[in-house]
Amino acid sequence: MALSYEEKLALIKINSFSFLRADWLGRLLEIFSSPCEILKQTPERLSEEGKISLETASKFLETASRLDAEAEFGKTDKVNGKIYFKGEEGYPEELLSIKEPPLVLYVRGVLPAENSANAAVVGTRKITPYGRRAASKLAEDLALAGVVLVSGLARGVDTAVHSAAVRNGKPTLALIGTGIGRCYPAENRELARGILDTGGAIISELPFDAPPLAQHFPRRNRLIAGLSKLVVVVEGEVKSGALITAKMALEQGIDVLAVPGPIDSPQSAGPNKLIKEGAGMVLSAADIIDCLPLNLKLGLNTKKLYNEEKPPLEELSERERSVVEAIGSGSVSTDDLALALNMPISELSGVLFSLEVSGVISCADGKYSRKKF
Amino acid sequence: MLAGIVSSCINALEGFLVSVEVDISAGMPSFSLVGLPDQEVKEAKDRVLAAIRNSGFDVPLKKITVNLAPAEVKKAGAHFDLPIALGILSAGGQLSKEAAAKASEMVFIGSLGLNGKTHSCGGVLPMLISLKKGKRRKAVIPFDNMSEAAYAGVEAFGAVSLKQTVDMLEGRAEFPPCPVAAEEDFLPEVSAGDFSEVKGQALAKRALEIAAAGGHNVLLVGPPGTGKSMLAKRFAGILPPLTKEERLDILQIYSVCKLLGKNGKMPGRPFRDPHHTISNIALIGGGQTPRPGEVSLAHNGVLFLDEFAEFSRSSLEVLREPLETFKVTISRAKDSFTFPAKFTLIAAMNPCPCGYHGHNVKTCNCTPLQISRYKSKVSGPLLDRIDLTVNLNPVDYKDWNKKSEGETSAQIRERVIAAREMQKERFKNGATTANAFMTVSEIKEFCPLPPGGGEVLELAMKKLGLSARSLDKILKTARTIADLAGCKDIKKEHIIEVMQYRPFDRKGVSDI
Repeated sequence: MALSYEEKLALIKINSFSFLRADWLGRLLEIFSSPCEILKQTPERLSEEGKISLETASKFLETASRLDAEAEFGKTDKVNGKIYFKGEEGYPEELLSIKEPPLVLYVRGVLPAENSANAAVVGTRKITPYGRRAASKLAEDLALAGVVLVSGLARGVDTAVHSAAVRNGKPTLALIGTGIGRCYPAENRELARGILDTGGAIISELPFDAPPLAQHFPRRNRLIAGLSKLVVVVEGEVKSGALITAKMALEQGIDVLAVPGPIDSPQSAGPNKLIKEGAGMVLSAADIIDCLPLNLKLGLNTKKLYNEEKPPLEELSERERSVVEAIGSGSVSTDDLALALNMPISELSGVLFSLEVSGVISCADGKYSRKKF
Repeated sequence: MLAGIVSSCINALEGFLVSVEVDISAGMPSFSLVGLPDQEVKEAKDRVLAAIRNSGFDVPLKKITVNLAPAEVKKAGAHFDLPIALGILSAGGQLSKEAAAKASEMVFIGSLGLNGKTHSCGGVLPMLISLKKGKRRKAVIPFDNMSEAAYAGVEAFGAVSLKQTVDMLEGRAEFPPCPVAAEEDFLPEVSAGDFSEVKGQALAKRALEIAAAGGHNVLLVGPPGTGKSMLAKRFAGILPPLTKEERLDILQIYSVCKLLGKNGKMPGRPFRDPHHTISNIALIGGGQTPRPGEVSLAHNGVLFLDEFAEFSRSSLEVLREPLETFKVTISRAKDSFTFPAKFTLIAAMNPCPCGYHGHNVKTCNCTPLQISRYKSKVSGPLLDRIDLTVNLNPVDYKDWNKKSEGETSAQIRERVIAAREMQKERFKNGATTANAFMTVSEIKEFCPLPPGGGEVLELAMKKLGLSARSLDKILKTARTIADLAGCKDIKKEHIIEVMQYRPFDRKGVSDI
């Protein structure tokens, strides 16, 4: 089905309202022969046909008419982006099967080939050192194996996931909760550029300049799930965006996996609950790849994953090893380390410094934690 | 008849001699005061005339003109009452020739009540010190200000009233002896408590020891109840004793602010802890007649800013000047005033708005944006002036019970004093007093990189993202750590230890 230019403009206008939960729009599009027709109707007619309140109908018409659709094309072209329409060629087929597929998709960068192994890795913004470690490690292994990582470019886990892919020069998809003309949070501007440079894509169904409003984010989570073959939750509280994504994935029949965490960490309460309810438990990247459909799995480079070697603790000196062992899997302050090891702070500082610069541990807010498993 | 009496006045913190000229001539009874007097000086008229009458003298029913010279400098303070009164008595012929001659050699400072009794006034000590500039040796001051007389190096006599002053000049009464400075006049420098009372927090204690030894500024970050204020309040107790010059500087500032001798004792090393709602002027100094602010009251001592991030942004901005130049300059269209402000800053703040970010047990409800916004309040130029930053973590009850008592303030102070001795020897030819105040050329001279030190700094910059502008501070702090260890040269491990105290420098790890 080829769309005329006018129809495209009308769809862009209609879409500017569709990110608000509006399944009646689908009904309207079926009733009227062309999207242009919808915009020509009176609010009364729309409210009758779409079985919606008069108020919603007039608000819809007002919002749609306010958007300058031609400018959307211009702005998208300027950033080398592209606008895909539902049903047209190039529109990701996976999205057609989700509930309320977006009418319009704004894309910067390159969409992955059909049947690429996409996996969503999502989680909280309030990441803990453990979450950062887990997300980075899993994402890095997945990216190197050839999995295309899908996430939301938010702070915390999303950032860790995208950066792991970018660091390794692998493509990754960012489904953002603003228009593609914006970057939120602003500190991820550099990362967004990296995503485009490494052959990934930044995708949104929102109008080009849409601001980061709270209601945008849960809606875009359905796209994260929709574009992925499975969803991995790294960290997240019981009520969090990550769990919404997991719920949407389950509704769409997509596998959900979760990374277990400490039972007393609120950030791990979400994934732990998912595991308890039957989600697959992720202990390594191999566990995730195991859940991919077989045909996708065969195209991946999984050799390294299955005979993984541990980071060589043996290379460390005895003092360094004792410090690393004392840190364990938690995050520990210098004071507590000095007390536990009975080492003066001046001596401990030296050990911590050499461990930190060699990348074994990292320091945040005065507490040290292991960087790698 | 004409009479001249010498008094003194304060400009910023410095005294200067003022000549009080009184002319009494025939004409309608009147009183006029000229020479840029402030409101308090102008009101001298009513006080002085009543005081003269109530002291048993006569107020001449003639035209009285008083001039305060130099005429172009503004004069403030109520202490011109006594010299004006004496001038009127002298010009009216109510003083004998001998008494007038004696008075012309002395300097008079003091405000009067209507009954002729003297009242204490501010700034007596710097005014007395200004006597030396005018080659004068003797002064009469209010009896209540006598405690300040011991430190000026001139002869000062305390007078309780106008009448007694005249009696002393006439030889009818003895001049009381000038007091001598004594150690026991000073408040002990040991502060609110002892370091051994603070459980755990070895890293923070070590950082404060380094700060005391080198005069470095410290930032303590931690959830409520981790002992930030407790540590800061005990900090003054590990500082070395004041030198004579330092003490005199402090006394002058306190004299101008009328904070001396309130409880009969002189202040020890200042410890100022203004509340975070303080106004910029109160913090930095200023006002219509410029007065020292909290930063100057903390001169040669400690300025403790609790809830550092809660201070208004502009208050934190004004702190930048004294932290950089160790003084405050207040510029006016006609004049500019300089107050010394060489203090050690101890700042304490929570890690996030709710306070519990990074807490072992309690959960923090702040969003990442709130946390980074909170931290960014003290970022940048201000953080650049802080040498040591420590994160404090709560101490468990179990540990609290178990954790060793730790050293007493006296033990720590001994090491601090030894380190300061090394610095005194190092800076004997310059104006610098401690490592933290070193200039760039002094850093070059006294802080050569040890073998392997360059690699450590390079690694730190590359791997931890330490910025180049923190390098000078790292060297200064390493110098102090070496002094504490009694080492002549900085060693590699000293530089490494400094890294412990610079968590904010690390790139991209604080924004969890």
